[in-house]
Amino acid sequence: MAGNTTEEVEGSTTTETKTNSNAEVPPEFLIKHPLQNQWSLWFYDNDRNKTWEENLIELTTFDTVEDFWRLYHHIKLPSELRQGHDYAVFKQGIRPMWEDDANKMGGRWLISLEKKQRFTDLDRFWLDVVLLLIGENFENSDEICGAVVNVRPKVDKIAIWTADAMKQHATIEIGKKLKEQLGIHGKIGFQVHRDTMVKHSSATKNLYTV
Amino acid sequence: MSASPIARQATHSQSIPSRRVLITDPAQMPDVYSSTPGGTIYSTTPGGTRIVYERSFMLSLRQSPISQTPPQCALPAALLKNPSSVPNVQPASTQKPRSNSISFDESQETFSMDL
Repeated sequence: MAGNTTEEVEGSTTTETKTNSNAEVPPEFLIKHPLQNQWSLWFYDNDRNKTWEENLIELTTFDTVEDFWRLYHHIKLPSELRQGHDYAVFKQGIRPMWEDDANKMGGRWLISLEKKQRFTDLDRFWLDVVLLLIGENFENSDEICGAVVNVRPKVDKIAIWTADAMKQHATIEIGKKLKEQLGIHGKIGFQVHRDTMVKHSSATKNLYTV
Repeated sequence: MSASPIARQATHSQSIPSRRVLITDPAQMPDVYSSTPGGTIYSTTPGGTRIVYERSFMLSLRQSPISQTPPQCALPAALLKNPSSVPNVQPASTQKPRSNSISFDESQETFSMDL
């Protein structure tokens, strides 16, 4: 039975390819590719008349590769945002804040960028981080909550947020992969949200370093 | 590398776990046809089923006509790349594919195709 199904599928693929060659559109361009997770794009505005939480806006959700690109093509790159603004991409249902149940026990792998890197690395790093997330490229992708980019006057930051800081093996796998995929030569550190909450982020100790 | 994403879903190749179940009495047979002795074998793939895409593959989809259409959600004007060129209406006719057989209707989840 399984054999028959496979044959049928293969048969129809062949027909599809023939049909498409007339139209000169690659078959991969005709469909939307579903993602494992549904993701939300958030934007942090820094309107001084609003509270921190009021400034955090969930713009939209997407669950296909194509829908991600549609958004990406039409919104500003991180380097084009005003200083003080953030983008965040989180699994749908998780808010990009420490207080969310999914983040409470978690932490973040933090990449700090020097000011000059805003025009060389920031946009490239951010795109690669989002692709790593939505393409489920981490072995422990269940531990991923989302990613944030902060555009700031002194130091721009990109972070991947994970669910449970105590899961050492999974957390370190994510950090190593992140560093390797982005081609970062220096060290990157993992900070526990609970530590970041009480101290200034620059004073927070790293729980792990890769 | 050219395999369809459906074929690329498994992150690593892993051997398919197998198990022998010895049946000594007909009563040990499952009572539904969709099940096999000792549990259903086709329910999962090794390591679980996950949709995985490589970066290079996702980047290749960036050029897809569907990926070029404007998003349907309302976005703050301050975030739009070219506020003038991205009104909330349908894209300009230049976005239409030249071929006559396929139409990309952004409201359609699936695609239409001449067979």
